[in-house]
Amino acid sequence: MKNPIARLIIVLALISIGSGLFLALTYTYTIPHIEANAAHDQEVAILETLPDAVSFEELKNTEFPIYVGLDSSGNEVGFAYVAEGGGFQGMIGLMVGVDPEQEIITGVKILSHSETPGLGARITEAVFLDQFAQKSISDNFIVKEDIDGVTGATFSSKSVSAILEQTLPKAVEQYRESGGGK
Amino acid sequence: MKFGYEFIKGLWDENPTFRLVLGMCPTLAVTNAAMNGLSMGLATTFVLVGSNIMVSALKKVIPDEVRIPSYVIIIATFVTIADLALAAFFPEIYRVLGLFIPLIVVNCIILARAEAFAAKNSIGKSALDGLGMGFGFTWALTFLGIIREILGMGSVFGIKLFGEGFVSWIIFILPPGAFLTLGLILGLFNAVLGKKKKAQCS
Repeated sequence: MKNPIARLIIVLALISIGSGLFLALTYTYTIPHIEANAAHDQEVAILETLPDAVSFEELKNTEFPIYVGLDSSGNEVGFAYVAEGGGFQGMIGLMVGVDPEQEIITGVKILSHSETPGLGARITEAVFLDQFAQKSISDNFIVKEDIDGVTGATFSSKSVSAILEQTLPKAVEQYRESGGGK
Repeated sequence: MKFGYEFIKGLWDENPTFRLVLGMCPTLAVTNAAMNGLSMGLATTFVLVGSNIMVSALKKVIPDEVRIPSYVIIIATFVTIADLALAAFFPEIYRVLGLFIPLIVVNCIILARAEAFAAKNSIGKSALDGLGMGFGFTWALTFLGIIREILGMGSVFGIKLFGEGFVSWIIFILPPGAFLTLGLILGLFNAVLGKKKKAQCS
């Protein structure tokens, strides 16, 4: 090649095209797995937060996703909803299971977060999350009083409490309005 | 013999963490648990081997003036592949390390090996160099992770070592613990290796 500038441009362009091609292939190959993982996580989370449920169906026309849990004979045993709020470094997504008759939480799971690995990320551990089960939906979940926070991650712990406190009344209202719990 | 050395040197003589002191950002950030250190190390190894092979294969094609942008594109490609593959096949690890995987792209070990080694050596040697450096980085990170996890959480790879009475030393899983542990280990290594060198001289 005679023109050195042209050579630079051509080489860089070729490397970029190669890289793009490689990535497109990887993406098409991995994306079904990634989506399946997310769907699987969601399903597991719904059933884990509703211990009495064996299946679930999504409520229609709600502001945020609400899943009604059904037992083996098709009776409603409660509902789970997806709550989101700010954490220490980014959004925290929760799956919250509620028993609307007794007005208690049946379980809480973390769906997504970007808290500090090893510290705030430990809000996903059962030791912390199990504390919310059986608590009344009108509880304030005050960290260090009602709930033991994760060591070294008071902010992340408080965020989970705050998300629950803020979203629970709305979720119960939505569930009742859309005809659940009849 | 020569080929073997390209692999061995990364483990000890030119260990990226303890001897070259490169790639300190992930070293300090993810070593609060042994598992995190190990998975970060392996992901970095994959990127190192991949980029070393590609850079070595393309060394005659890439003009000097644009070698750094070319290397960065190659490295970024492998990092994104590692990121997608982890998300698809190891969702558990990805959940913990998610944030740090894209940051491998700015790990200076990788660019340093591309520039200092792969651009001048054969594909085979470059692959071995990447593997050696990667494993050197991996054991260093896992070692740091084990120490910090034992002191900070009383466990290794998530397995509890002590009874209920153990009071964990929280500072070791917090950022200051990273500096303390790394500093002490580096000091220890220098003391031991320094003595060895003196003995060889005399």
